[in-house]
Amino acid sequence: MKAFRLVSMLALVLTLGVATTSCKKVKDADVQTAVQTALAANPDLAGVSVAVLNQVVTLTGTVKDDAAKAFAATTATAVQNVKSVVNNLEVVPPAPDFTAIDAALNTALVDALKDHQTVKAEVKEGIVTLTGEIRKRDLPTLMQKITALNPQQVVNNITVK
Amino acid sequence: MALIDKYKELVDLAKQYGATVSDEGKVLRVNGEVPSGALKDKMWEIYDRIDPNFKSNDLVLDVSVNATEGGKVKVVTRESNLNIRKGPGTDQPIVGKAAHGAIITLISKANDQWWLVRDNDGEEGYCYAQYLEPVQ
Repeated sequence: MKAFRLVSMLALVLTLGVATTSCKKVKDADVQTAVQTALAANPDLAGVSVAVLNQVVTLTGTVKDDAAKAFAATTATAVQNVKSVVNNLEVVPPAPDFTAIDAALNTALVDALKDHQTVKAEVKEGIVTLTGEIRKRDLPTLMQKITALNPQQVVNNITVK
Repeated sequence: MALIDKYKELVDLAKQYGATVSDEGKVLRVNGEVPSGALKDKMWEIYDRIDPNFKSNDLVLDVSVNATEGGKVKVVTRESNLNIRKGPGTDQPIVGKAAHGAIITLISKANDQWWLVRDNDGEEGYCYAQYLEPVQ
């Protein structure tokens, strides 16, 4: 009889214990923090916002490519207590960096314009804008020199005399 | 009108010689090598006819004449002699002159703009490629 009481007491304790554990509510705010921490490890995911409702994570914001988008979801899914991930991230490729292209064009333009002192050129984002004046017969020569530099575009604002 | 249609005559000619034609929306780009200077000049004439004085800013016509290293090139300046420089750049000292209309030797291409040449006096140096036209 004594043994039976002990067993039933144990059972009661265990039941209570289990009940306590299952009742321990996972806080969405904690999940959100954990997901944000996991994502923060990757600088490519700096533009990602995290929302959590009933342990379902929703990712919004922008990333630079599909790989980063997929990686964000994988990372979030792996976080403890995350039930599922809704990936609403938008892929926005970054604007290309024209610094090197513009520098190379500016260098090459010095040579290209050497024989056309009345023409000036400006470079922005790979686009060469020409101003000044030129004789008609020299225009094709000049244009050939400029297009040979393979710019994004040539904007010809030259006055043809 | 699509650019490819506007410049159809040019595009057709370019494609015939294996040039790359890409319509980038705002700009039509034609890149490639053609076999002769006459053909390159013809393409520029067509361009100037379709778009007088190249004012539409919607075409980048980048065609060069296929030049073989070790082959002959003609000095196609308007009338002056062509500077031969020590290195590839107008900041480089002039080491000689190639006469207007002279046919000299292309040793190698330093880049698209500057070619290493040897003139008929045996002088070697760099000339601006736009003033050199390969001769067959």
